[in-house]
Amino acid sequence: MTDYWLSKMMFDLQKSGDVSSWRADREPFLEQYPISEEMKQAVRDDNLAAIAPHVNAYLLRFYCGICGMGDKEFIERLREINTPERH
Amino acid sequence: MAQLVGAFASSHAPLIARDWDILPPEAKQKISSGFREMRSRIEELCPDLLIMLAPDHWVNFFLDNLPAFCIGLGPEHGGPPEPFLSPKFPYKKLKGHPEFSRHLADTAFESGFDPSLSYNVNLDHGFCIPLWQLGLDPLPKVIPIFVNELEQPMPSIKRCFDWGRMIRSAIVNYPEDLKVAVIGSGGLSHSIGEPTMGKIDERFDKDCIDSFSKANEAEIIEKLIKNLPNAGNGSEEIRSWIIAHAVMNGEGFELIDYAPILEVYVGCGWAEWKIA
Repeated sequence: MTDYWLSKMMFDLQKSGDVSSWRADREPFLEQYPISEEMKQAVRDDNLAAIAPHVNAYLLRFYCGICGMGDKEFIERLREINTPERH
Repeated sequence: MAQLVGAFASSHAPLIARDWDILPPEAKQKISSGFREMRSRIEELCPDLLIMLAPDHWVNFFLDNLPAFCIGLGPEHGGPPEPFLSPKFPYKKLKGHPEFSRHLADTAFESGFDPSLSYNVNLDHGFCIPLWQLGLDPLPKVIPIFVNELEQPMPSIKRCFDWGRMIRSAIVNYPEDLKVAVIGSGGLSHSIGEPTMGKIDERFDKDCIDSFSKANEAEIIEKLIKNLPNAGNGSEEIRSWIIAHAVMNGEGFELIDYAPILEVYVGCGWAEWKIA
């Protein structure tokens, strides 16, 4: 199921392009959105398997780029996810 | 009266721009030659206006308001915001055609559609990679039509056929002399941000290409309903090709080229629908 606020945070990050602030400290960003504590933790842990089913796949790609993940690592980590879910 | 002079389709993989300087020569050659041939064919037709169909990649729309179809009505449109494309793209603004786009919107509403409308849109790589690679000079006026091809639920394939026929009706009933070409941007198969990312489904692509040449509408719809869910999420962009196909009444399809280019993650295709 789509997580609106998690998606919104990723969308806003993409729009603002504020990569350096995000990479320096994610907490001020996470505080701005009513994201569940479980999902916030998934963001802190870079837990792609927990995040992926709840956001659009294109947004996820943008987001992982903002986190500094190159395509090679991104693809490898996606393939570790056992239960793909289409959005 | 306006004249429909032809329709085209091409892929728009963002890595064509992002990685242009590091792509293998053979990939660049294939991409360049596909767009070069397409440009030559468009230039022969001398269109005054391009109606372009592409998805919005989270630039203008979000989950708080996600139109199935949105027509850009403004006198001009913003160029690509993506940092990997913006410096390469020769225009900060693209000229629109407010009179025709208003006519197109009126035709849509009179035809049973309720599209979203916007006087202020930015055209991301979905529109601008083909325009950048085509290098049309001067660039004709552009009417962008955004089609939701990114987030489920999306307009059905049948609805896209109907939408294409509506565009044709708007073109042929426009009272002023104007040569209009249509460009569908997207596809063919690719997978983005899901475990199959990077895989290209050549069988799906070749079946689509074959279908545009031979299959009737019902067969195309049936095949896509069956095959789209397994062809990668980017393959949903085949809707842009479907709409171009429908604008041309399903006739005149000619493949310019096809190449599964792994370096850009996309089964890249270029096509023209010729007026008989």
